[in-house]
Amino acid sequence: MVFIVTALMIEAAPIIEYYSLKKDMSVKAFQVYKNSDMVLIISGVGKIKSAMAVVHLLSIYNKGSKMDGSDVYSNDILVNIGLCGAGDSNYDIGRLLIINKVTDMDTGRDYYPDVFCGKNLPSVSLCCYSRPIKSKDMKVFCDMESAGIMEATKKFFYAHQVLILKVISDYLAPEKLDKKFLKSLIENNITLIDNTLREVKYLNEKFKKFSLNEEESKFVEKIVKNLKFTDMMKQIIVKDIVNAKKKGTDVLNVLGFSLESKVNSKLEGKKIFEHIRQKLK
Amino acid sequence: MNTLDKSSNKIDYKGEGFKTKNLFNVIYVEEAAFKYPITKEVLDKYCNLQVITIRHYKDVFNRTNQHFQIQKQYQSLILAVKDKPFLYEGPQVCQNFGYPNFYYTSFLLNCIFDCGYCYLQGMYNSANIVAFVNVEDFKNSIEQESLKKPVFLAVSYDTDLIGFYNIIPYIDYFYGFFKMHPALTVEIRTKSGNQSFYKTHTALDNIVIAFTLSPQEIIEKYEKNTPPLKTRIKAIKTALDQGFKVRICLDPVFINPVADHLYEPFYEYVFSEINANKILDLSFGFFRMSKEFFKRIKKQSEYSDLFLDEYCLNENVISYPKEYQNNIMTRHYQILTNYMKKEKIFSL
Ligand code: SF4
Repeated sequence: MVFIVTALMIEAAPIIEYYSLKKDMSVKAFQVYKNSDMVLIISGVGKIKSAMAVVHLLSIYNKGSKMDGSDVYSNDILVNIGLCGAGDSNYDIGRLLIINKVTDMDTGRDYYPDVFCGKNLPSVSLCCYSRPIKSKDMKVFCDMESAGIMEATKKFFYAHQVLILKVISDYLAPEKLDKKFLKSLIENNITLIDNTLREVKYLNEKFKKFSLNEEESKFVEKIVKNLKFTDMMKQIIVKDIVNAKKKGTDVLNVLGFSLESKVNSKLEGKKIFEHIRQKLK
Repeated sequence: MNTLDKSSNKIDYKGEGFKTKNLFNVIYVEEAAFKYPITKEVLDKYCNLQVITIRHYKDVFNRTNQHFQIQKQYQSLILAVKDKPFLYEGPQVCQNFGYPNFYYTSFLLNCIFDCGYCYLQGMYNSANIVAFVNVEDFKNSIEQESLKKPVFLAVSYDTDLIGFYNIIPYIDYFYGFFKMHPALTVEIRTKSGNQSFYKTHTALDNIVIAFTLSPQEIIEKYEKNTPPLKTRIKAIKTALDQGFKVRICLDPVFINPVADHLYEPFYEYVFSEINANKILDLSFGFFRMSKEFFKRIKKQSEYSDLFLDEYCLNENVISYPKEYQNNIMTRHYQILTNYMKKEKIFSL
């Protein structure tokens, strides 16, 4: 799943259009748009709101994604797309940037996404402020959401799965900006954004060879339900399956028998659980 | 031969098992590291790489959400200033070769090679390489210790210094210092085929080059990016020809039905190429790892199938059961003692 967080509707609109996202009416706290493999949330301005939006998204859409036995969502990526101010006029307005360092200007804390993709984009450091910055003397790029994104994602994503993509909207003179113009800034970069997302998705896929594929994930969900496994038992089985795959075992074949089994009590389930573990050794 | 195209940041280890176009993803530099000459040299050498200024190397290196295996494919270099301590007591799982005062030091954290069995995967959160630039501080600290007593110092643990030679030639920077301190016995452990150091420096009595060798099949399976056996043998020959003391490390040795057949022909090959009498000594050790590192590696989403084998836990170290080790070791020793006196073979 690709999760996208934007602060404002003008930043989100070109993305919603490009990926034909539909509004998810079931979510009330934020405006959320989605298709089968992408969810976009409009967080509102500021790092607290962006952090809240990330956590809200994950709590709704990410149940069951941790299928490789690790602590993070290894199949997903999270992207913050938005506008930023630039104190450095070496870069043109409308230029898409990829962020390699985020500094929370309130706490002084630095965050480092691992940037392995988007190598054709300028890679810069970004300062995240709590209020708009107007000083022209500062040689920095500024936004108001990135620190919230970095703080909220670090427990759920690997550092290379979080992307901060910013388009320069102004040279730290934000009051002069017109909405149509701002929307066009994201619109003009949408292909570049799409290419970068594809690259990160590809990278994730490439290193996913031992985690569970869709068929195996469905299989696990089914036996967990039929055999009344606890969350802990599910985690153990997933780990055993991953290890068995590493040894070259055709897992679905070996465990085919368990699909037909149904139990009436947790105790019966436990017996089959041990049997499954034996088969996977 | 290793060639480094200084202007384009391309390193080409032709025939030495390692070839990559972009050696590093980015270079992180600690604010305090900018003033050191090594930093300047590295930044000049890799002038087309992105440089990111950081406050402290641990801010990048110790992040908890790094994917070790993916990062290994996109390694970054972190230039940093090391704080005390500069010397560590030699770990129990490592051979001290009879020296009571056994220390190790790390100019580098992590390695350009990518061995599937490497404990570094369990030791660090990050696959990025930290290179410390304050070499004088290391020298002062080593000097203080070695003036008090004779010291055995391993300088290439947690990394491969000779493998890193074309990036930062630490051993060049320390050569004069080692020469001035004969009471210090220095071991440089390597799998590298880079011969530059041996060709450009006179051998010193207190420097031992310790080459880790494995059967070619093991190298191909578990020692990614390292040079093939033939290339390592070539480097050993050059080091010996130049008068360097050479140690052979057969470590880690694996026990499994496939590996068991590989060692006899491997020993025959090695000692048909190298005159065993010229070798200082030999160190022998089975695959082993601290329980904590082993567990941390198994928690990651990708790891070598080696970690799926059955092992025993003994005094917090995971390895093969003692009786296996004794049996297999006896067999290995029978072959090795055809080439070398038993007293010259050290094992843990
Ligand atoms: S050469 Fe040594 S330090 Fe480097 S990866 Fe291999 S085992 Fe680890």
